[in-house]
Amino acid sequence: MDKMSFSHHISQQYNEELWGILDNVMRMGGLVEQQLGDALVALVEGDNERGELVVTSDYKVNAFEVRLDEECTHVLARRQPAASDLRLIIAVVKTITDLERIGDEAERIARMALHLLEADRRRSPMEEVAALGELVKKMLHGALDAFARMDTEQAVKVAQEDIKADSQYEAIVRNLIQHMEDNPKSVSPIMDILWSVRSLERIGDRSRNICEYVIYFVLGKDVRHTSFEQMAAEATGDRR
Amino acid sequence: MSLYVRRRIVNAVGLALSIFATAFGLFWLGWLLWTLVAQGLPWIDLSVFSQPTPPPGDVGGLSNAIIGSLLLTGSGIVIGAPIGVLAATYLSEFGRKTHLASVVRFVNDILLSAPSIVIGVFIYELIVLRTGHFSGWAGGMALALIVIPIVVRTTEDMLCLVPVSLREAAAALGAPRWRVIFAVVYRASRAGILTGMLLAVARISGETAPLLFTALNNQFWSLDMGGALANLPVVIFQFAMSPYEDWQHLAWAGALLITAGILALNIIARVLGRARK
Amino acid sequence: MAYDGSSARGRIDLRPLGSYKREQTVEDARARQSWTAGVEQGAGQAAKGSAVTCIEVRDLSFFYGRYQALQAINLELQARRVTAFIGPSGCGKSTLLRTFNRIYELYPGQYATGEILIDGSNILDKRQDLNLLRARVGMVFQKPTPFPMSIYDNIAFGVKLYQRLSRYDMDERVEWALRKAALWDEVKDKLKQSGTLLSGGQQQRLCLARAVAVKPEILLLDEPASALDPISTLKIEELIEELKGEYTIIIVTHNMQQAARVSDYTAFMYLGKLVEFADTDTIFTRPREKETEDYITGRYG
Repeated sequence: MDKMSFSHHISQQYNEELWGILDNVMRMGGLVEQQLGDALVALVEGDNERGELVVTSDYKVNAFEVRLDEECTHVLARRQPAASDLRLIIAVVKTITDLERIGDEAERIARMALHLLEADRRRSPMEEVAALGELVKKMLHGALDAFARMDTEQAVKVAQEDIKADSQYEAIVRNLIQHMEDNPKSVSPIMDILWSVRSLERIGDRSRNICEYVIYFVLGKDVRHTSFEQMAAEATGDRR
Repeated sequence: MSLYVRRRIVNAVGLALSIFATAFGLFWLGWLLWTLVAQGLPWIDLSVFSQPTPPPGDVGGLSNAIIGSLLLTGSGIVIGAPIGVLAATYLSEFGRKTHLASVVRFVNDILLSAPSIVIGVFIYELIVLRTGHFSGWAGGMALALIVIPIVVRTTEDMLCLVPVSLREAAAALGAPRWRVIFAVVYRASRAGILTGMLLAVARISGETAPLLFTALNNQFWSLDMGGALANLPVVIFQFAMSPYEDWQHLAWAGALLITAGILALNIIARVLGRARK
Repeated sequence: MAYDGSSARGRIDLRPLGSYKREQTVEDARARQSWTAGVEQGAGQAAKGSAVTCIEVRDLSFFYGRYQALQAINLELQARRVTAFIGPSGCGKSTLLRTFNRIYELYPGQYATGEILIDGSNILDKRQDLNLLRARVGMVFQKPTPFPMSIYDNIAFGVKLYQRLSRYDMDERVEWALRKAALWDEVKDKLKQSGTLLSGGQQQRLCLARAVAVKPEILLLDEPASALDPISTLKIEELIEELKGEYTIIIVTHNMQQAARVSDYTAFMYLGKLVEFADTDTIFTRPREKETEDYITGRYG
């Protein structure tokens, strides 16, 4: 799929509309990435200022979602997009839903971070959580990158990272459960951390979703709800 | 002077000139009709229709000439129209772009503009000389020769106006070609073809020259197409040239009758043509 | 992800969306891998009943005198389905349609080479009786073409060509055809009135009724709605939807959305060639060829 092909519609206005949508998705993606980064800093380093910032900025993400929904509805109603244009719009509608959810997860992480005391933080396996956070951040970045470049190989790579994220998540959960068994008094703060880790894992899943939309958009193949191997085979196998 | 003002002046001048031209044409037509009515109407009475042409100084009418004209015109159209329609059907439905069709069209156009006296002489040579006497049939043939090119031309034009899609639609139902032509194409152009025939009737009912050489004239009441036949144009020609006043009066009456007849035919053709749309 | 989406989705009946592809995906996740390849060949087999080939075009070329308008077209059209031909002006889609009833033979200098098999017999054969062929393959044109006769006679005209019906049977046939074309209620009180006095949309439905009245197997529609207003267009599309249970319908249209709405299969033609032929969903969501993509998305050629 040639990205430049969006400039080739006979209708210049249509080109601009599609470009505008892509541009806004990227800006929304950038914002969500930043939210996630700030939430992680708040969680891992206890930076409450950043935490507050994330909580107060979530409305921007929501506004982006609403606006992009409107733009997509407009294109659907006015242009009756077909083929790759149609797939683009469908992919965008789904992507922004996932991006908005990622924004919500980031906000939840930030709220948890604000509750967390320094002592709790020191007692938890923060290094592992930070590692998972970095991995998930990288996945989100990679997914958005794949989207921007319409790069299916990149999308497959990001999806592969999700396996790693899942196993890291499970390790942390086991670790945290161990903690709770050892220190019954610290159940409440650890639950907060557990929820945050859970959010991180969800962000990984949603990043993978975005990668699937990229593959759908570029190749026209629906690879949702398949194993990674199937997805990789579809995306790289026969490139019609 | 601005461009706009100049345009308005050009417009006004053009409009004035065309109104004048129209009025000029109408003036002569009006004068002609007025003269005909003024000179002819007083002499039109029942005897014009009931008595045959009289010898000079006697009382009489135009009955033999009227019936002769009807017979001649009728036979002309009956002989000429079918041939013309069939020829036009060939041109429009089968020939269209063939070489033969363009030759036929060219010849038809020549025939259309051929002087009628030439046609009269031709039939005289062909029939009158061979049979040895003037006859109504010869007159009918001469008129038919005038009818054919007119009918060919108008009918072809009308058939060409029938949309191709109508023919395709009929053929697409599995209709054979003759069926398409008869049931759909003729029907769609019916009014137009009829208009063409009426115009042809109008044209031949005033023809004098070809009849002089073919049907000639007959002093007496006759319905015999095999012999010489009286007819209005020739009677008008003969009586108008005569020194006898009552003959001249009858000529005026005949002229008015023919003109009124042609006018009526034209109006009917117009009405039919409008009904088609 | 251990989530097994296919079994979850299997319980949901997605059929109203009208796609056989989804039914296939329901079967099992592995089927997906072959589905993308399988749609082109076996499309529709999962749809109502099995697909029967009605028209098979083999190496069809078409010439307007020396100009070649179709280049070796190969195509198989399914019985009782709607197939749309789309493509830019002059791509040959109408020309292809007009070979199926050989209506082009009205004009000298036009001829086709190759084979068109309808129910197995080659209609391009010299021995094929054209009128009988056209009685089997009905056609409706771009501009409404009511004959200059009454509404009743418009319908009866085609029927009378090949059948002798009693007055009663003919009345019944006329009513049946007009009902099929959803025109009966509008004209039942004025059957003796001229067909040319109807509105454009009614005229086109009259033409559809006329074509249906002779009970053909195949209906060819050459841009049947392009001269009509949107409401009349929708009525015609609705009729196509209803008629497709009994007739094999082929429609040529300039209106891509119309092709997307009414057809089961779509053929995209360009410069006299068949570029892509697949089920309509595939053509409109993920066409294989770049030319198709560019055309249906409105890009420069």
